[in-house]
Parts: sequence; structure tokens; C-alpha cells
Amino acid sequence: MSINRRKFLEQAAITGGALAISPLLAKAEPPAVKRITILHTNDVHSRLDPFPMDGSRNQGLGGVAARAALIQEIRDERGEVLLLDAGDIFQGTPYFNMYKGEPEMKAMQKMGYDGATMGNHDFDAGLENFATQLSHVQFPIIICNYDFSGTVMESKFQPYKIFQKGDLKIGVLGVGIELKGLVPENLYEKTVYLHPIESANRTADLLRKQGCDMVICLSHLGDKYDDDKVSDEILAKESFDIDLIIGGHTHRFFTEPRKYRNRRGGDTVVNQVGWAGIQLGRLDYSFSGYKKKNLSNAHTVVIGKKTRE
Amino acid sequence: MRRIFAFISFLFFGISSCTSIQPVTSLSFTDYRIAKEARTDTALAGMLAPYRTNMDITMNKVIGFSNTQMNARQPESGLGNFMADGIRVMAEKKYGKKVDAGFINQGGIRSYIPKGNITVGKIFELMPFDNLVVLQEVKGSVMQQFFDKMAADGGWPVSAGVKMEIRDKKAINVSINGKPLDPTVVYLIANSDYVANGGSDCEMLRRIPQQNKGYLLRDALIEFVSDFTRQGKPLDYSIEKRVVNVN
Repeated sequence: MSINRRKFLEQAAITGGALAISPLLAKAEPPAVKRITILHTNDVHSRLDPFPMDGSRNQGLGGVAARAALIQEIRDERGEVLLLDAGDIFQGTPYFNMYKGEPEMKAMQKMGYDGATMGNHDFDAGLENFATQLSHVQFPIIICNYDFSGTVMESKFQPYKIFQKGDLKIGVLGVGIELKGLVPENLYEKTVYLHPIESANRTADLLRKQGCDMVICLSHLGDKYDDDKVSDEILAKESFDIDLIIGGHTHRFFTEPRKYRNRRGGDTVVNQVGWAGIQLGRLDYSFSGYKKKNLSNAHTVVIGKKTRE
Repeated sequence: MRRIFAFISFLFFGISSCTSIQPVTSLSFTDYRIAKEARTDTALAGMLAPYRTNMDITMNKVIGFSNTQMNARQPESGLGNFMADGIRVMAEKKYGKKVDAGFINQGGIRSYIPKGNITVGKIFELMPFDNLVVLQEVKGSVMQQFFDKMAADGGWPVSAGVKMEIRDKKAINVSINGKPLDPTVVYLIANSDYVANGGSDCEMLRRIPQQNKGYLLRDALIEFVSDFTRQGKPLDYSIEKRVVNVN
């Protein structure tokens, strides 16, 4: 951690030096630290109510009414907030069997989600149903490695979205898991799966070139596997411009965010918060107030201590 | 030469474009566990209420009783044994044929069964997918590939009468109804259409013809539990060495 800190100080010094000598960079930027709070869920699986009080391990945990109240408390802190989901919104309780995702989508809209990517179970009632349920939300479905040409989803997704939060520009992209062998073909229809690493890197590069201070990838790839199946771990190590991967699919409760060295030698962080809305993840990012021209420099991140509430 | 070009174009890009960023420097994190005592949002609770009321009419119906809490475990679990027996027994009833074995893919077990009353809703959570019970005639040699897939995955639920050991991610000493798996014999097996269609990487089953009466696996499990209740019996499932790790 101290090494990272030293690196950061060095970088800050270099940037500061550049500021001093370059008239092109002389635009006075206040050195104030800027912050954003990223709130995230994954694999909520239609768990609108808390787990029932039946003696099971998760009894009493979760539920959208409690999550909504918690999110509101965090919004009341008056900071900049982004609320994101990494897919598998659907399937897992009778709510989905009966209503095909309508209350799930309405709940997310009420909580003010800013974006979500698609998980394999979001195909479970068919692509047309997913597209229909999107009429209940205003936030975009963000995914860059599914080619939906010729399907009902063709005009109903975005490969990325840029959010302006105060002075910060945050780019969000999304990647989904390979569908063949996982989702029945009649459900995903003509959707074509594209390689997630290539798609994510291409999209992240685009976002960085558009001046995004931070690039977030919503991922339903899964955190890691025993074999060489593509995962968040592999994506993190192979990425250039992704600062944060918000993961899902493997239902893993991380004890802390994982940090990987990316292709630029900087840090890409991965986090995942289990499933069923048992936890809400919160990542508070601080940014150097100094603007940096050199986009290709590695960014190292110091991860602070965990607080659990 | 290419490298120099890249460097120059980068300089050009860096200076001419207005893209500059404020790099991330630090990150702190908090995991909020959403506990029972948490305050709730009344507007959201109100939005949900009518959906729940209507759903509960169907889902709260009690159809049986379990003596034990059953969770999904590998290589074998009481829950898996219950489900694999359910698919085999009910397939036999529905199709009127002797079914040699029934299987459930481990990933298809989506919930647990608590000790006590079993409601319709619990079975919906256990098997939320609209998967169908299908039969296939499968040669023993292909069955071995199927068992190897289960072994590589850490063990899947198999019906009573099927035994296998897992060594080095391979299935060994497989027997069906007391007889060693014979590569030349054709077995009649019950699976969900998801698995029979090649799902969970069961490519070896994909091209084998299916008998399909449109019978939902979920309905089969509901009827299986109801049959126990009609006979005045609770479910009492545990591990019985159907699938064993030997290294």
C-alpha cells in the first residue's frame, strides 16, 4: 500500500511539474479532491422480499423496501452517486414466474438505478419479454459484447453510457457471458456473443478518449474459474482503461475488492456482492483534482479499509 | 518506425484534443448487509404489496413436510437426491415406462427446502425455470461421458439406484440398479429438456431423440411431494453415498 502511495505521490509530482512548465496546461485547476459514490448490486434474482424467517441461513436478509431506504440515506449525504447492477435481475422467486419481471423493473426504477447490464437469466422469459419489461424503466441496459441485430433488443440497449457527475465524467460499459450451452437457443434467438475482452477494451478506449475520468465495466462474466474461461480476473489483467469491474454471475461475496495489475501497469479493481440483494456494495472513489493529459499513464489506486454496516 | 509514429500521434492527440482526465487516487469500500431490522421504504413496500397478495394466494399452499432442512451440496445432497428421485419416479408415472435413472444438473438447484412445511412457492424457488421432463434412450458409452461431465463438475444429483465414484474429475465404478454401467446397453433416462438439449455443457446428449410430453419439472416435483403427503409420509432425505469422492 505504501508503494502505491509513493507511486501516486510521484505521479502527482510529475503532473504538478508539467502544470508548472507547460503553458498549454496552465489552465488553473483547483487541487481539490473530488469524490463519487458507486453503489452496486448483482444477481438479485427477483428477490423482492427478504428471505423468509424459516431457519435458513439468509433468513430476514435483503428485500427491495429496505434497500431503497438505505439508498435514500446514502443519497441524503448529498454526494455524487451512481447506482448500478451487474445482471441477473430476473428469476428465482415466484414473483418472476407470475409477473415476468415487472415488479423487479418497477422497483429498480423507484430506487433510481442509473444502469444495468444483462445476465444470462434475464433471457429466461425470452428476449421479447425482457424488451417489454424495459418499458417500466428509464435507465439503460448497457452491454457491448452482444450483437442484438435482428432481435427485439436491437434498439433497446446501449454499448456504454457516459455520466456527468459534478466535474467528473464517468463512463460505464457492460459485458455479458457466453450464451451457448448456458441459455437455451430459443430464448436468446439471434443474439451473437462477441469476445468480451476485445469488446470491453475497444469500448473503454473510446470512453477514455472521450475524456472519462473513470471507466466502469458492468460484467456478468463471473469473478474467476478453475479453467481458462473468460472471467473478471482475466478481463482485469487484460484491460487497459477499465478502472473498476462490477461483477456478477458467480454469486461471490467478496471480503474486499480485488485489485489486479492491468496492461498499463495500473490497477483495475473488481468487486462483487454475492446475490439476492443481501448486500449493497458501496465504493467511494476519490480523484486527484489535477487534470492529467497523459491518458496512457498507469493509474494506481489505494484501497482503504473496510467498514461494514 | 511504427513506434515513433505512435509516439508522435500520441503527443499530437494529447495536446490537440481537449481530453484530459482526473485520475482515480483512492477507494474506500463499505458492504451494507441488508438486515431484518433495516428501515424500509414505504412507497416501495406499497408498490410491491398488491403483487405479493395475489402471488401468495397460489404460493402459500402447503403441499408437504420435510423432516430436514435440505441444501444443495456436492458431490451429493439430500436435496439433490429428492429432486433426482422426483424426476425419475414422476417420469415413470407420466410416460408409463420403466425409467432406469433420473438426473438433475447441479446448477439447476436454485434454492433450498427448509425443515417443516413445504409450500408450492418453495418448489417454484427450487425449480423456477419452465424446464420439461424428457426421456432419452442413451447408450452406456455415452452415459459414461455424461457421468464424466457430472464428475468434472463436482458431482450432480442422481436417482436412487445409481452409484458413482469421482476420481481425478472422472466417473469410476458407475453402477445402475446394482449392475456396472455397460457401454453396450441402452438406458432410458429422465433429464430436464435443458440438459437434454445440451445445456450445462452436455453436448453428448444433444443429438439424442427426446420423448417429451410437455411435463414441467416443477409440476413433477410438486406432485412428487404431494404423493408423499397422500401416503401420510414426510420427506426425509439425506446423503446415502450415491456419489462419492474417492480422492
